[in-house]
Amino acid sequence: MAAAAPLLSVSDLRVSIAAGGGRWMLVDGVSLQVGAGEVLGLVGESGSGKSLTLRSIVRLVRPPLQVAGEVRWRGVNLLELPESQLNAVRGREIAVIFQEPMTALNPVLTVGEQIRESLYAHSGLDGPAIRKRAIALLDHVGIPAARARIDDYPHQFSGGMRQRAMIAIALAAEPKLLLADEPTTALDVTIQDQILKLILRLKAELGMSVVLVTHDLGVIAQSCDRVAVMYAGRIVEQAPVAMLLREPRHAYTRGLLDSVPLAGHARRPLRPIAGAPPAPSDRPGGCSFAPRCGYATDGCRIASPPLIEVGRDHLSACLHHQRVAAEAARP
Amino acid sequence: MSVLAEKVVHRRRQRFRGSLVIGLVLLGLFLLASAAPGWLAPYDPLAFDMSAILKPPSALHPFGTDNFGRDILSRLIWAAHIDLAIALFTTVFPVVFGTIVGAFVGYYGGWLDMLFGRVVDLVVTFPFLVIVITIVSVLGPGLLNMFIAVSVVGWVFYARLMRAEVMTQKQADYAAAGRVLGYGQLRIIFRHLLPNCIGSIIVYWMTDMALGILLGSSLGYLGLGAQPPTAEWGVLVADGKNFLNTGWWISFFPGIAIVLTGLGFSLLGDGIADRLRRGR
Repeated sequence: MAAAAPLLSVSDLRVSIAAGGGRWMLVDGVSLQVGAGEVLGLVGESGSGKSLTLRSIVRLVRPPLQVAGEVRWRGVNLLELPESQLNAVRGREIAVIFQEPMTALNPVLTVGEQIRESLYAHSGLDGPAIRKRAIALLDHVGIPAARARIDDYPHQFSGGMRQRAMIAIALAAEPKLLLADEPTTALDVTIQDQILKLILRLKAELGMSVVLVTHDLGVIAQSCDRVAVMYAGRIVEQAPVAMLLREPRHAYTRGLLDSVPLAGHARRPLRPIAGAPPAPSDRPGGCSFAPRCGYATDGCRIASPPLIEVGRDHLSACLHHQRVAAEAARP
Repeated sequence: MSVLAEKVVHRRRQRFRGSLVIGLVLLGLFLLASAAPGWLAPYDPLAFDMSAILKPPSALHPFGTDNFGRDILSRLIWAAHIDLAIALFTTVFPVVFGTIVGAFVGYYGGWLDMLFGRVVDLVVTFPFLVIVITIVSVLGPGLLNMFIAVSVVGWVFYARLMRAEVMTQKQADYAAAGRVLGYGQLRIIFRHLLPNCIGSIIVYWMTDMALGILLGSSLGYLGLGAQPPTAEWGVLVADGKNFLNTGWWISFFPGIAIVLTGLGFSLLGDGIADRLRRGR
């Protein structure tokens, strides 16, 4: 299947909110594609619009937020689909797991009831078969003594186990795309690693694609094929993960990489990015990153640079991508 | 420090058990009375006994007799099932209807919420008792009309409570998770949100049943609720109002029964609330 149409294709997605007499863009013209079996990472600071982008894909965004643009899933625009048809896609073809396993499970239903409900809605199983399958699923996501734990309530599970249970519920219908909204952020580091490995293992087994939202570059490096870096509601750089880490071509990505320690590299002082991202209400006219950027020139402040191809499979919205790349390549 | 904390925790647990248990015992007592009045009551509640008119409490008549020589204790016991029925029927429609309406309003919001807001305004503008008395006097006195009057007004309070609960719960991730699992809206409202919101409804319901009995008794006293010679606690209190100087016991014991039932429901509600809080 060479160069098949992408499974998911988001184009010019805009999420806005009306406030204080104006309309502010929280997500401003995001376009991205996800191919079959691919893991796409969406990385950015808090408030960069990455979670909103993810939630807009399955129309989880409620008024007063407004969504415009196109989200094509196997050629169908999900943003225009009637609710009943959308519900046939949700859960069955596209599943979502959330950041807080604490709140994403219904506290008054047992874990088993919630898995069975998902199975009942999507798999066509019923009766004893459904319970057996639920136990198998729970076992599959790595819950020890699944048969005994299936009648437990979520509060009887630890954080990592809850995340596993949520994954079991999400994957009950064997979806083709998993949207993971910071699935490991609320967990401690060792559990993070286990959950990521679990997601990757299930991805391989089920032949899913995954969109992984995170603010953790380590998570990206460990699990993604391709990365899109978001800043102030836009994608500023997009590239295969190895290329992006080795040779960033946007000043912001460069700043991100410089601000975290990388294992296996020579020790060097960390350089945090000065300042904070601009609020949607007072973004500068040109490049949103310009006020915090060491490379910025007058050109950056005039107009927002477009996201253009700067290398093979490598998109960047930085006027100085060559300088950034050249400096990154220097030892 | 920790010993002290333990003591505090211990005492709190004791208190919670207390209110739940006392509430259950009180209500159990009245339930028993209403289930088998003939078995518990020493006399026929309607039988006149001209040889024992206006007798104070004694071994023969523990709560005394009224101006027709009827045994107060027996009348009290026979009245229990009417008052418990009042507690139930003044609230059951408001609970069910109000909960459902509140769930929809809270979930969908928008123009439905606007409309609901106006209805609430309309109802809460009038004092509760005044509007109920108005409706009853239009429909005519009697228990059934009283149930109708209370139901017309009472559901609003449950709906308001439920609306607020659903509005908070629907923000939770598990509601979003339900939506992205492709579940229908009705399923999310009734299977996922409602059980998470029902706690406060139940607690309010218990208090409301106590108020229902008070209301039933008040209307009975005013002659708008249960009609004599039906034995209803409010009617019994009213029976004694001309004899307060000579036969205080005629009004006193039914009054105590009203207080104890109300207390029973309140304690039960408290106990359930405590339990729900601890379960969280």
